[in-house]
Amino acid sequence: MLSALILIPFLAAAIVGLTPLKGTICRNIALVTAVTTLGINIVLGFQFDFQHPGWQFAQDVPWIEWIGLNYHLGIDGLSFPLLLLNSLLTLIAIISTSQGIQRPRLYYAMLLLLSGGAAGAFLAQDLLLFFLFYELEIVPLYFLIAIWGGAKKGYAAMKFLLYTALSGILVLASFLGLVWLTGESTFDYQTLREHTLPLGSQLFLLAPLLIGVFIKIPIFPFHTWLPDAHVEASTPISVLLAGVLLKLGTYALLRFGVGLFLEGWVYLAPWLAVLASISALYGASCAIAQTDMKKVVAYSSIAHMAYILLAASASTRLSMTAAVFQMVSHGLISAFLFLLVGMVYKKTGSRDVNYLRGLLNPERGLPVTGGMMILGVMASSGLPGMVGFISEFLVFRGSIAIFPIPTLLCMVGTGLTAVYFLLVINKVFFGRLTVGLPKIPPVKWKEHAPAFVLLLLIFAFGLKPDWVTHWSEVQAIALLTGG
Amino acid sequence: MTDFLLENSWIIPIYSLVGALLTLPWSLGIIRKTGPRPAAYLNIVMTLVAFVHSSIIFKLIWTRPAQQFIFHWLQVADLDLVLSIELSPVSFGAMELVTGISLLVQIYALGYMEKDWSLARFFALMGFFEAALVGLALSDSLLLSYCLLEALTLSTYLLVGFWYAQPLVVTAARDAFLTKRVGDIVLLMGIVALSNYGEGLNFSELDTWVEGHQLDPTVAALLGLALIAGPIGKCAQFPLNLWLDEAMEGPNPAGIMRNSIVVSAGAYVLIKLEPATTLSPISADALIIIGTVTAIGTSLMAIAQIDIKRALSHSSSAYLGLVFIAVGLRQVDIAFLLLFTHAIAKALLFMSAGSVILTSNNQNVTEMGGLWSRMPATGMSFVVGSAGLIGFAPLGMFWTYQRWFSGSWDVDWWLLLLVMFVNALSAINLTRLFRVIFMGEPQIKTRRAPEVPWQMAVPMVALTVVTLITTFTPIKWPLWLSPNTPLSLEQPELINQYAIPLLIVSGALGCVIGLTIRVRQAWARSSNIAVRFVQDLLAYDFYIEKLYEVTVIAAVSGLSKLTSWVDRYVVDGVVNLVSLATIFSSNALKYNVSGQSQFYLATIVIGVGLLLWSMLHGQWSIVTNYWSSIM
Repeated sequence: MLSALILIPFLAAAIVGLTPLKGTICRNIALVTAVTTLGINIVLGFQFDFQHPGWQFAQDVPWIEWIGLNYHLGIDGLSFPLLLLNSLLTLIAIISTSQGIQRPRLYYAMLLLLSGGAAGAFLAQDLLLFFLFYELEIVPLYFLIAIWGGAKKGYAAMKFLLYTALSGILVLASFLGLVWLTGESTFDYQTLREHTLPLGSQLFLLAPLLIGVFIKIPIFPFHTWLPDAHVEASTPISVLLAGVLLKLGTYALLRFGVGLFLEGWVYLAPWLAVLASISALYGASCAIAQTDMKKVVAYSSIAHMAYILLAASASTRLSMTAAVFQMVSHGLISAFLFLLVGMVYKKTGSRDVNYLRGLLNPERGLPVTGGMMILGVMASSGLPGMVGFISEFLVFRGSIAIFPIPTLLCMVGTGLTAVYFLLVINKVFFGRLTVGLPKIPPVKWKEHAPAFVLLLLIFAFGLKPDWVTHWSEVQAIALLTGG
Repeated sequence: MTDFLLENSWIIPIYSLVGALLTLPWSLGIIRKTGPRPAAYLNIVMTLVAFVHSSIIFKLIWTRPAQQFIFHWLQVADLDLVLSIELSPVSFGAMELVTGISLLVQIYALGYMEKDWSLARFFALMGFFEAALVGLALSDSLLLSYCLLEALTLSTYLLVGFWYAQPLVVTAARDAFLTKRVGDIVLLMGIVALSNYGEGLNFSELDTWVEGHQLDPTVAALLGLALIAGPIGKCAQFPLNLWLDEAMEGPNPAGIMRNSIVVSAGAYVLIKLEPATTLSPISADALIIIGTVTAIGTSLMAIAQIDIKRALSHSSSAYLGLVFIAVGLRQVDIAFLLLFTHAIAKALLFMSAGSVILTSNNQNVTEMGGLWSRMPATGMSFVVGSAGLIGFAPLGMFWTYQRWFSGSWDVDWWLLLLVMFVNALSAINLTRLFRVIFMGEPQIKTRRAPEVPWQMAVPMVALTVVTLITTFTPIKWPLWLSPNTPLSLEQPELINQYAIPLLIVSGALGCVIGLTIRVRQAWARSSNIAVRFVQDLLAYDFYIEKLYEVTVIAAVSGLSKLTSWVDRYVVDGVVNLVSLATIFSSNALKYNVSGQSQFYLATIVIGVGLLLWSMLHGQWSIVTNYWSSIM
């Protein structure tokens, strides 16, 4: 059943990419695929026993035995929320892709490949298999940015490729070193987890892994690929990049950083917490000075992803659960914001906060988009009732006992979120409509459907947070108990 | 039936929320045929239902002890987040006040906002606003109160920014949000820390925890200060006071709510938190100092304002300053009394001001005059509201002061002086306003000034009557008052014999000064430099805004520009430098591909030669050490 989550998108990608189908048919195939994977995930959710730590629905097939690679899949409370997020955001990305996109066959094939690759990485229980999927998803994303991107797409895509390839190499180096030092002949996660290496070697292996995932998350100072990639990527790709692909980094952080090198992790944790607070404040501070709406959201992503590092470094029972929750929360909110910024860009042709003004205008502006943007901004700055508040509250509450100063600094970052987003809202949506703005085509309700779905979830999880926390609570805590 | 209503009293905030949601078809423009009015009516009906429901419960539980309802919101890991509500005479008294004033304000808004094309959006926001306020009245948990305070911050932002196309409104909305947000974030820090140290976040649990806590004094002081930061922002106290003044750019009906109820809501939370503020003497002292500074400063600011709403809103900050002092002195009864009297009188004053603004299309008092004969109901409301506020016997504030200084509370001479000062300045301010608005010769904008339409006149007159009646409310329903010292009409004790006469004199003196000072005219200002300087100093709020501009705002924006520059040119610069270096060096290296075998041979010979040299000269250990260090 789990293989289906990988194989169906890959198969569909092959069909779409290799057969001479028309654009609309490609779109429909992609839609059906996305709905199917989402459906499978939901069914899995119903059958899944969240009280049980460890892998469920596992599949274990030896693949290349002489290098110790097994096709070993399974889900647990850590990966399930992210799988669900992945399938949901893939569907949303496909729906929000414009009908008349250039080269639709290649586009949808790449999108499905990306989604399947991310699903594979979340499912993999084998270190090498994880690495394969982790690298695999870079390729379609490179093309998605390089072909359908904006003006400086070549630069952004190449930067992304080099950075994340480096990230992959570092992660691989860490994995290889681990297998070598433990003397195992397999890359199986559970087997490796049972070994406890001396602290020195743990640190030695943890360091490349950390730098690798810091690039992916991204954490200051390895973040510079992200704003460029976001600005050049088209809206659906930004949604996936922020919502799913960054989560691969934090997922690896929890799964491998905490899961495999617990002692080393605890040793480094105070520094990581400091780094998290620097990253949060730095991201927020950069966001204030940006004039491109998409860059503001991108830098805000950097700031909000840092909270996950903070929570993970605190390593309390609560903060681990909160880290997973924050991943889901950030995935929903940033995807929502990117959709809305994309809508503004699509309708007005600009994202410049110094040019756009007064878009709340009910007759000639984008009032519904603006209204939702206000809600999205509030969700991001942690207004109660929406998912951003409770996830951040749990992060801070879980971390303050261990690292009070970094936690308080991160809370200052939350305060700054309101500053930079409110500046955007005030400039872009308030005031008089820009003079000389071409007539804005009205937004149909259908076009807002994906955003509505996300908004609904943002409210639902904000009011009933236990719907998310009970998925991951047991597993996240189990990570702390060592092998 | 009544039991059913009692059991389901948590639903009262939901009424307003439902009202807000019901307006969506109109505010989103799905229904256009009917115009936006039905949305407004729906909201008024929902508020009425909430008012009736809470009134019934109020009568029911009047004699009963407080009852708590606990709701487990989230249990995760070792944390159990509990939200709880309290059914007590106090909470329902507060709710009566909220729903009652909200009902009047919404009817008033029907008239005031008549010509506004987005009436439905306004009522949606009002519904949301009211829901948060009613919830705050019921809430018995710090976490829930925080959530509702944030909801208030959001709805204030949206209500102030209601006319979002005007430039002043844009900055006002932004400042209102960000100022309150500063307070809220600090409060959140306090809550997170408290939740970590304490037993639970319910007010009653906090009370017991505070008594036996074992905190370090510094931590306790910081915690206490963090907890009062939220109310400081919400009640517009120094240094977070300027938003309220700026927020006067928003629609007036929301301004009525803001100045009477919202500031009180912040103080209500503060009063609930009062035991926690005694965590350390520093936080209690901070309350008193902040309250004093605000009371003096904003009283002075108020008398120099020429915008009718701003003049009144500064005075709200001043009275809330008195509330802060009362809480800091742990005189909670007085704080409640002050809040209650101030809320009603201020609401009435703002209704009257709104009527003047609607009729004259103008907020600048220097362009008004002679409205007394033209707008009798409005003028009467202004007089009654003012009298209620300045301790004019036998209206509300008089009884409050009487109770405060009657000897049952421990008050000092400085407090009496301060209250006299606030009272006198308040009297000057209100008399001055009355003079320039209602007396004198009518000016261009007030010449053709009919009385306001009935939608506005009815709630205004009703509130005038209420202001007169509620003088006796605390005597009939001493809800919050400690039972052993009921508000009595007895002769004050000897030690404080002079307090009440002095206060009355201060009010009268204020009125006399207000009647005799030269009022500023739009076209003429004093040529005396000193007078002009003082006028400007007060009118521009002691230049606090300018001070913020050159300090906090400049720091944040400078820092953000700096980080952004560093990000672009240093952090990203290094990355690009590496890539450029790679490209250049590979470009340079490609000239090595000469095709001459001599060149390749020479490279190999030099490389091997270097290795051999290090072997022969005992330098080999560098190479081996390097490799072993990696492994």
